[in-house]
Amino acid sequence: MTENQKKVLDMLAENKISADEAYRLLNLIDAGEGGRGADVRVEGEKKDKPRYLRVTVVPNSESEKAGNYDRVNVRVPMSLIRAGIKLTSLIPPQAYDKVNDALKEKGINFDLRSIKTGDIEELIEALGDMQVDVESGRGEKVKVFVE
Amino acid sequence: MSRPPLLMKLRFQKEDRRFGIWLPLFLLLPVALVVLIILSPLILIAILVLWPSGWGRLALRTIGVSWGLLCSMRGLEVDIRRNNELVFVSAI
Repeated sequence: MTENQKKVLDMLAENKISADEAYRLLNLIDAGEGGRGADVRVEGEKKDKPRYLRVTVVPNSESEKAGNYDRVNVRVPMSLIRAGIKLTSLIPPQAYDKVNDALKEKGINFDLRSIKTGDIEELIEALGDMQVDVESGRGEKVKVFVE
Repeated sequence: MSRPPLLMKLRFQKEDRRFGIWLPLFLLLPVALVVLIILSPLILIAILVLWPSGWGRLALRTIGVSWGLLCSMRGLEVDIRRNNELVFVSAI
């Protein structure tokens, strides 16, 4: 925890600022730290490592005005994806065979045991080049990208 | 070393019913830590009892993975709206 974050939390605990203000301030501090980190990375590496997977669905203005719309804005930290993949290590050994058999029944010939942490890192790095941009017939814009 | 989120904001809305809450995790985590310390002898015994069957190792690993999962939630934001319905989760 940085000094600034501690100050904001102290102010929140002392009721000097509201929870909304604390949220905004912590977001600003986080963004500031991320920015400094990015500068350092640019010097050391050619390409920044992706930090978040973003999925957005933006409705067209007409359906939004009519009140019949879907709007999605999801930001998933890459670290959460990594941690989620680590959850596979909690699968009991006897369950692996069952999952593999179920996958085979669906026509997917894949051994769940073959997932290695190194492969995941490669996959996450490769995600940096991915961008999905789809516009539906109703004018909805769907975007999947990393930042 | 990564650290867990400090605050979590949850908001749900369905038609006219609304629910929103701020979870001050920075206050709740020390309480959870104390509870974990108090329960640690029981957890340790359970792990030792389950060790021969292989479930003890799994239980031990679950603690580590759960902590990792909590720490990696920083920056998560889910904002889904449909007409009068809303689901919003944010961890910072």
